[in-house]
Amino acid sequence: MKKEKVLIANRGEIAIRIMKACNELGLDYVVVYTKEDRASGHVKKALKERGSQAVYRISSYKDPNEIFSVADHSGATAIHPGYGFFSEDFRFARRAALRNRPITFIGPRWEVIRDLGSKINTKRIAKSLGIPVIPGSDEPIYSEIEAETLAEELFLKQKEQGIDKPSILVKASAGGGGMGIEEVNHLDVFRQVYRRIQNYAKRQFGDEGVLIEQCMRDYHHLEVQLLCSQHKEVVHFGTRNCTIQSTGRQKRVEVAPGFDPSIWEYPFDARKVLDDMVKYSIRLAEKVEYDNVGTWEWIVTRDGKPYLLEVNTRIQVENEISACISRISRQRGPVNLIKEQIRSALGEKLNFSQRHVSFEGTSIELRIVAEDVKRGFAPWCGTITRFEFPDEPWVRVYTHVPQDEPYEIPTEYDPNLALVIVWGKDTQEAKERAKDFISETIIDGKDSRGNGIITNLSYLYEKVDEVLRF
Amino acid sequence: MSINLNDLLRKYKSHPYEDHEILAPHTGVVKFKVEEGQAVKGPSGQWLHRPGTLLYILEREKNPKRITSRFDGIVTDLRVDLDGKFVEAGQPLMLIRHRLNKQEITNRILKEVLHIFPAPERARYFFTPEISAKFEKGKTKSLSVKTGDEIVIMSLMKRDTTLNYEGPSGVLYEVYFKNGDILEQGAPLFGVCLPERLPFVEKVIQRIKTEWDD
Amino acid sequence: MEQKSILDSGKYLVTLQDRVSYLADIKGGFEWGNLKELFERVQELRTNLFEYSERELLQQIYSLEGRIEFAERQVAKRLRPIEIVNIVRSVQRFTLLDILENCYDSFTELGGDGEFNIDPAVIAARATITRRVKNRLYYHQVMVIGHEKGMGEEFRNGGCAKPWGNEKALRYMKVAETEGIPIHFYIFTPGAYPIEDYPGAAQQIARNLFEMAKLRVPMISFISEGGSGGAEAIGLADMRLMASRGYYSVISPEGAAAIEGRIKEGGKVPRKLVEHCAEQLKMTAKDNLELGTIDRIVEEPPLGAKRSDFKFFKRLRYEMVRATDEVVLKTKSFRAFRAYALRRQSQDKEKVFNDEFDIHIKWTLSESEKDRLLEIRSKKYRAMGKGFKVLKRPFSKRLTRFWESTRHKYYDIRYGLLRKQSKNLQKILEEVSSEGSVIFKTVTESMRAAYDFVFPAPQKPAQTSQQDPLRRSIFMQDWEQYISPLANEDRTVTCPNAEKYGCKDLWVPDLYGEYSGVCPTCGHHFPLEYQWYLENLFDKGSVREFNTQIVSDNPLGFKGFDEKLKKAIERTRRGSAIITFDAEVLGIKLVVAMLYSDFRSGTVGSAEGEKFIRACDRARTTRRPFLAYIHTTGGIRIHEGTLGVIQMPRCTLAVREYIDSGGLYIVVYDNNSYAGPVASFLGCSPYQVGIRSSRIGFAGPRVIRETTGTDVPPDYHKARNALKRGHIQGIWDRREFRKNLFEALMTMGGPNLYYK
Repeated sequence: MKKEKVLIANRGEIAIRIMKACNELGLDYVVVYTKEDRASGHVKKALKERGSQAVYRISSYKDPNEIFSVADHSGATAIHPGYGFFSEDFRFARRAALRNRPITFIGPRWEVIRDLGSKINTKRIAKSLGIPVIPGSDEPIYSEIEAETLAEELFLKQKEQGIDKPSILVKASAGGGGMGIEEVNHLDVFRQVYRRIQNYAKRQFGDEGVLIEQCMRDYHHLEVQLLCSQHKEVVHFGTRNCTIQSTGRQKRVEVAPGFDPSIWEYPFDARKVLDDMVKYSIRLAEKVEYDNVGTWEWIVTRDGKPYLLEVNTRIQVENEISACISRISRQRGPVNLIKEQIRSALGEKLNFSQRHVSFEGTSIELRIVAEDVKRGFAPWCGTITRFEFPDEPWVRVYTHVPQDEPYEIPTEYDPNLALVIVWGKDTQEAKERAKDFISETIIDGKDSRGNGIITNLSYLYEKVDEVLRF
Repeated sequence: MSINLNDLLRKYKSHPYEDHEILAPHTGVVKFKVEEGQAVKGPSGQWLHRPGTLLYILEREKNPKRITSRFDGIVTDLRVDLDGKFVEAGQPLMLIRHRLNKQEITNRILKEVLHIFPAPERARYFFTPEISAKFEKGKTKSLSVKTGDEIVIMSLMKRDTTLNYEGPSGVLYEVYFKNGDILEQGAPLFGVCLPERLPFVEKVIQRIKTEWDD
Repeated sequence: MEQKSILDSGKYLVTLQDRVSYLADIKGGFEWGNLKELFERVQELRTNLFEYSERELLQQIYSLEGRIEFAERQVAKRLRPIEIVNIVRSVQRFTLLDILENCYDSFTELGGDGEFNIDPAVIAARATITRRVKNRLYYHQVMVIGHEKGMGEEFRNGGCAKPWGNEKALRYMKVAETEGIPIHFYIFTPGAYPIEDYPGAAQQIARNLFEMAKLRVPMISFISEGGSGGAEAIGLADMRLMASRGYYSVISPEGAAAIEGRIKEGGKVPRKLVEHCAEQLKMTAKDNLELGTIDRIVEEPPLGAKRSDFKFFKRLRYEMVRATDEVVLKTKSFRAFRAYALRRQSQDKEKVFNDEFDIHIKWTLSESEKDRLLEIRSKKYRAMGKGFKVLKRPFSKRLTRFWESTRHKYYDIRYGLLRKQSKNLQKILEEVSSEGSVIFKTVTESMRAAYDFVFPAPQKPAQTSQQDPLRRSIFMQDWEQYISPLANEDRTVTCPNAEKYGCKDLWVPDLYGEYSGVCPTCGHHFPLEYQWYLENLFDKGSVREFNTQIVSDNPLGFKGFDEKLKKAIERTRRGSAIITFDAEVLGIKLVVAMLYSDFRSGTVGSAEGEKFIRACDRARTTRRPFLAYIHTTGGIRIHEGTLGVIQMPRCTLAVREYIDSGGLYIVVYDNNSYAGPVASFLGCSPYQVGIRSSRIGFAGPRVIRETTGTDVPPDYHKARNALKRGHIQGIWDRREFRKNLFEALMTMGGPNLYYK
């Protein structure tokens, strides 16, 4: 491997994890930070390990010009976007590839990011490959008659399936993040809602295209973790269950594997559902010649039907719980997916195939956030004065919050404090260990008015009991 | 009245300057276009549409950006050693020593005389739409406020909170931020003048007008 | 007795002093000949009036007068164009109020009494003009509309009509039409007052032209000072007379000099250059008669008529009556007109001027005669201003070739054309700033600045890396679409609104490729080359250019312009600043005229006007919608003088006939659209739209500053302000141009479109 230097275009715990992966791979790295993050853990670690030459202050994590500017100046040959920020920005990846001094983007090639970045597009190809998707339109609808016909059809289908309260969703096709979505419970009000959304879409996005799909209720949110290389290798690392989320659809507790029939009873054949999801995910990956890590998001309804939602063309926060339960024969210890991701992006072969991968135990991820769960998960901000947690061989903690000095949470970013990954030989043990961990964690802090810190620790404690239960 | 106007004025007369630190807005290679001690001008024209003196060029990603002065003043503490070098965002490049004019002295003294409503958190601030609308109509000096009035919206972590005014009733005399600015905790948002202090405030302005040479 | 005589001499001395000052006016100062000495001499006599004996004084006056007369003869012997301009500007020259007093028997001013007037620079009056036939007097009712320079009266604004002044003019034209009386226009303007306030300088002139094109009464115009667009606001007449010492020009000689000499604002324009431009612009009555932009010259005394030149007023009255007669007679029968004209001609040949008429002619017209009047007017203007060249072979099919060359694959374009293209654009921009006029100086400067971002002058374009063609979209999306060659460089630019909206620097390939030159944060439109529109606005392969054989020329023989023209042709590989073509938008066929910046910054001259008219007529006969897309226009091409100016009424007339026939005329402004074209055939459209970030107006900020003495805000001409003032009907985003155009084609327009 030629001497590569990775620019880590992210902050917080993912930056730290990428640094560790680089260290293990023997790669050089540089980090960037903003004024608000000068006291952050990733900056400290980089300063300690590589000195001030590897640390650059930039104006914003979201300005691509800053990233490329630092990359060129520092001689970086690759950029790891982490998650969020530029991880799914195909324009960023395209610029990295096409600029005069090309830089390896650690992620899938830009064409894949672009094409799978569009949910409609993904849905269309999935459909063509016989992969189940949520019933509804697979391209924006502009005509009212067309929309009404489809709405009628969707209601009828649900009735045939014996669904109790059938409903559909009307969405602005150009929208996203929950904006411009309305639920329709009865066909009679459809036209009214359709027109409202159409007007909204036209006003907001300048495109009056509307999507219509069946509204799913009572489902679990599952994911399939894939790792692919530029040499057409495709390997999966099982499934995850991310059903426990905040009101803003932010994941709070994740578990791998996706279901566990040994601890809960499911109204369907859980084993088969998981296998199908994996099979379908690989089918799509092979079709588009996917070439890096990626997550295929699914929902599974109570009747045991999986539907493909979308593809996340990036490493995810919760990747490590999949890695934790995966074993590769001939390799010692659990897998490090970030390492594998970097290797793959640099053009290496995987060195193993699916038959070398086996699974062991259950892993749970807890996201410790300074938020008030009772008040709609409102973020808390202030200064953390004490942060202590137990050190056990079965737990890994990722945090940018220093343990040796007070830390003020930057107000411009979400108040995520730590990621905790617990492993147990089975689900029961994992749950117990998770609860033990929470009980022994101490976080103190004060806001500007002198009130104590509010975290979601007790919420997490409650939720651990419910994991994997349908 | 606890404030001694004479003392205040004396203070400003002995040091009528304000130093503006010029920081690199982003990374890039800097090329200075001014020299130590050079006099520079801020934007001019009726609509401030003519840019000020060119201070330096900051080139990033093959885009040489011309950075002009936003103040009148004298260049000091120029970091000549950085000329032609790559700088990080926020790197101090020079100071511009700006001589305060009548208006600015007045504002500073007012800050000490008025009841200041500070920013409760480090956050982004906006006026409520009602207040903004009044400003657009130019009705600033006649805007009375009392405890409980909704004046400002604080935007923190993408959540908006409306702030109610707390303090003595009076006239909203001075505003210290632009809509959408991020302010540090405790930075002044606006100043309210108590009705009984209005004559005093007018006196301050009058005295500065007559005693100060621009 | 002696006392009185000396007092008379005093008065007489004042007139002598006036005569010397007048000569100084003409020669541009007292430096010429012995003017200074003469002037001092007169003054000396005036001061020491009573020191002289009567005899002495008379002798002195007599000899002085002789010397002044000699000087006058010398000046009159060879009047240079700049001196004619000076005559027109002299405070001693006659004004409209003098004409009303002396040529008309009675008049009532409408909508004004001195200062109490919506615009004292424009006068409208109901007047009576008389004709003597064998010692009998006949009275004609006419409407008189014109500019009052009000020599010395500040409030008259030197005859610069404000937008509402021109609106007033239009209102009284309509009154005349209702009452069926002829209109006499008197043009005494250095130009229209360049402000955008409603109804807008440009837009109101356009409305006036649009109405005058089909106004159902005889119109006669008389030009003393014909300052470009301002003159046209009341200039589209059936007969155009001109004072022999008047001027009629596309731009003031000073304005032209500032452009030709590329003089910076506030800089001194060399006098020599001004004189040179005055000659080149062909602005005298004789020149204009030769160019066919006027019909007849009204003789003045050799040094021009002054306020008390009663002989001249008599002549003028006669000429106005006669011109009206001729217009009226032409609508009745050609034979009657011939007989009349011949008789007058033979009379004119007699040495002694005779203002008596043989017959009385009534100036009222029947409906069919009015129809004929309009027909004659249309023919008259269509035949004017043809200072273009017609090639035997069409100007090669450049468009098609360009089309083909750009239909390569995405990457070919991305990496192939870069260097040449960026150089071209740089040149174009230099051109933009030299051409056009001072009017647009500041505008082009800001546009230049925008391009300077894109192509910093000394730097070489960066090398771009070759891309593996196999790395295509996995879904083979439409990558074959046209990508601007501007996109072909690895660099970033700053959005001009960055400070206000926090726009991030944009990577040029993203900006000019996927973003279509639009800042994704604030929506600012960066300028794009006109080819982008050809490729992205119309259905692929539907563009078919016509009339390429009509190319721009140098009809005035303007010195140095041949080379400029040659360069423009070489660079653009086109023959004029307008492209006219058939095209389709989602299957709807339409005719398009496109003024583009690369060729003399989209200025309009004879070739452009002709091609526009032919496109307009083509749309009328094929019953297709007609789109005028203005990529940029810098106004009327000054190098074609009044042949350019005359394109304003010409093209407006064609537009009027198209709209009246039941078509759909849409005007879309982009980048910069200013002056003459906006003040005529563009501004008269009922559907005018600005592309976002475009600028629309009459005169640029510099001219506004120089004429009005006040500055205007930087966004004064921005499309949204034009919308706010009611000048345009909407603002379109470039990315939605095609969609909006299609919707407009479907929903707007008259009943005679082929698809309706």
